[in-house]
Amino acid sequence: MASKTVLGACPQDCPDTCSMLVNVEDGKVTSVRGNPDHPYTRGRLCVKVNNYQDKIYSPDRVLHPLRRVGPKGSAQFEQITWDEALDEIETKWKAIIAEHGASAILPYSYLGTQGNSQGLHVGDAFFNKMGASVSERTFCDSGSCTAYAITIGDTAGVDPEALALSKYIVLWATNPLSANSHLWPFIMEAKKNGAKIVVVDPYKTTTAKQADWHIPILPGTDGALALGLMNVIINEGLTDTDYVEKYTSGIEELTEHVQQYDPETVADLTGLSSDDVRKLAREFAAAEPAVIRVGVAIERHAGGGQTVRALACLPALTGAWRKPGGGILQLPIWVFPMRWDAMSRADFLPENPRVVNLWKLGEILNGENLEGPPIKSMMVYNANPAVTTAEQEKVIQGLMREDLFTVVSEHFITDTARHADIVLPATTQMEQEEIMFSWGHFYLTFNNKAIDPMGDAIPNTELFRRLAARMGFDDPHFRMTDEELMRNTIDWDSPTLEGVTFEDIKERGYVRLNLPKTEEYAPHAEGNFHTASGKCEFVSSAAAGGNFVIPLFRQGYTEQQMGDAITPIPEYIPPNESTATNPTLGASYPLSMVSPKSHAYLSSSFGNLKHQQEHNGKQSVIMHPDDAKVRSISNGDLVTIKNNRGSYVAEAKVTEDVRPGVVFSPVGHWRHGSEANATVQAILPSTLADLGGAPTFSDTLVEISLVNTAGKSIAAE
Amino acid sequence: MTHIVTDNCRACRFTQCVSVCPVECFHVGEDMLYIDPELCIDCGGCIPVCPVNAIYDTVAMPEEHAPWIAINKQKSAELPVISAAMDPMPGAEDKRAALGL
Repeated sequence: MASKTVLGACPQDCPDTCSMLVNVEDGKVTSVRGNPDHPYTRGRLCVKVNNYQDKIYSPDRVLHPLRRVGPKGSAQFEQITWDEALDEIETKWKAIIAEHGASAILPYSYLGTQGNSQGLHVGDAFFNKMGASVSERTFCDSGSCTAYAITIGDTAGVDPEALALSKYIVLWATNPLSANSHLWPFIMEAKKNGAKIVVVDPYKTTTAKQADWHIPILPGTDGALALGLMNVIINEGLTDTDYVEKYTSGIEELTEHVQQYDPETVADLTGLSSDDVRKLAREFAAAEPAVIRVGVAIERHAGGGQTVRALACLPALTGAWRKPGGGILQLPIWVFPMRWDAMSRADFLPENPRVVNLWKLGEILNGENLEGPPIKSMMVYNANPAVTTAEQEKVIQGLMREDLFTVVSEHFITDTARHADIVLPATTQMEQEEIMFSWGHFYLTFNNKAIDPMGDAIPNTELFRRLAARMGFDDPHFRMTDEELMRNTIDWDSPTLEGVTFEDIKERGYVRLNLPKTEEYAPHAEGNFHTASGKCEFVSSAAAGGNFVIPLFRQGYTEQQMGDAITPIPEYIPPNESTATNPTLGASYPLSMVSPKSHAYLSSSFGNLKHQQEHNGKQSVIMHPDDAKVRSISNGDLVTIKNNRGSYVAEAKVTEDVRPGVVFSPVGHWRHGSEANATVQAILPSTLADLGGAPTFSDTLVEISLVNTAGKSIAAE
Repeated sequence: MTHIVTDNCRACRFTQCVSVCPVECFHVGEDMLYIDPELCIDCGGCIPVCPVNAIYDTVAMPEEHAPWIAINKQKSAELPVISAAMDPMPGAEDKRAALGL
């Protein structure tokens, strides 16, 4: 038997980007495990990918091009050849372009597959060349990126491994034990060295249960807490005055501004005690050093952007940046020498393309608030909008349109692919080669191909080469090989890669960027922020330019930004939907809903695999016993969760891990086959947050009622 | 759902699993280890490092190991956490050989 171990890399949209060992016997992947040599992975993967071979060899894999033969949404397809599929796509697209213009075609993609060449930007050059509608993919961290950019700049922040050196770790809106588990050993090391671990999260997550202190904040009020911390730090003289003087700007205005956020006011807004606000501020300021690890969930409410601005100001106020392990950590992606422009090729775009925000997909497909021609075709790759985009009913209504030509490249017949006219078979990570940045550590990771592609499946790179050839795009970009495309994503002349070659990374599986050692890495010990002034700007000079989405999340395009005004100083913007801020809505829908990531699914990836389903259990809603009791709901009951946007059915989990008035429903379950044929996205709003087009998922009111045995909802008392 | 330690660990207690576990969910008994099901995050890192194949994901284990779910739960609640690897028990290598591993 011929067996080998191949160095791979996990392709999921997770900060950890694990180096993997892929065991192959007789040309078949038999198992995967974490690479024990990797300083960050340390020999572990996670519950999502431990059985990756089950995904590759699932009997449900899409292995050939398919053409719809039944009604829309019926998932009835016939197998066709690649030539037939490309013929149909070419014919339809050329006709649409001739009649409506290329902007009637919409790409919809994200990070279902992550990686430099196969991931977020793989189709950008193609669609930019076509002149299709430019998609703003502000799904995750876009609001934070805008906030960062105008406050401290595009800095990587703290080295994640340096958390081991921290003395006070605030895990804010993040649950690393489910969604960033390879960071945890560094936190544990800090704890053993005397660090205090604090978790700010409305839900008592597994992470919160391991912390020294859990702060169960009301959803969407994090900005108030951050400003309250500033109030205490400034008024009690806990600032690092030397640091503030040398490396920040706007302290006078900030001092005056935060007076309104006294601990008592903040306590009322956040549902915490004023003593706890003071205590957190004092402890954070006293620790040397303190760090805030912010999760992607932080931005998902009306004031999400300004919340991140406030958090980004805090470490500068206390001088936490002076020591390794002090500061803020959110998105280390900025440390990688990426050639975003060379990947997206915004230079291919025509003048004044149409820009649409993909959170608004329901509206877009139904022609609401859409200027210009209707969307006549959508191509979905690395994404599953039917169960990941808000206002699910509206999205499905759009996907059901007879006159919408939908092409989906996928591994499985997802809820989106069910509605496709053409489904194209995509390779899994084991069937392709890839080089990978990370948004959770400082290593470039390499994924060697372990097996040949299954069936007719092809990598995304090959997909867009084929489509470009059909559409007559003759720019050399569209003839680049996979290796050329991988090399093209990185600036190999960067000092962070001095002495490192593509071949080195391929052979070793990973390389740490040439940066100071973790125990010496304090990038902002002397300011050097990536802002125009080089300072941490409490009063942002860049705010004057108005609201924007960084080009990374909009196919490289920089013009036609949102442009709405940004208050230059961090402010508290209350939630759109809470019983306190919207009592009228709250009268009908009195429960605040938060929809976190599931433990065993990554967004909707793996939601169809038995192993992960058994780990995750059924679609559920987690609620407090008081809220359950008044609705006659018991643990395990089927309940309907409803608001003015839609409804779905889930199993009630009754627990005191949540506070009264706040409920949780993890995402990732598939719509087809679920109770009531709907998921939590049915009740989520497509309203955007204040900065960067971030979503407002954690800013949603609902009501919950028991489903009776006849399957009908009983109205709550 | 969780992971469990089963009979193969008895009289071996190699403890490589303890080094790889990110959450310190192993508890140490007289002659074997047990996993705290409340703390285990199902990362599976312990499975390939166990020299005697004693650890299983309960979602993907042979049916015969089902009784170990309750045993791990009970024993982990009673016994102390083990946070660093220790020497295997005397005779561990013999048992490993006897298991054909």
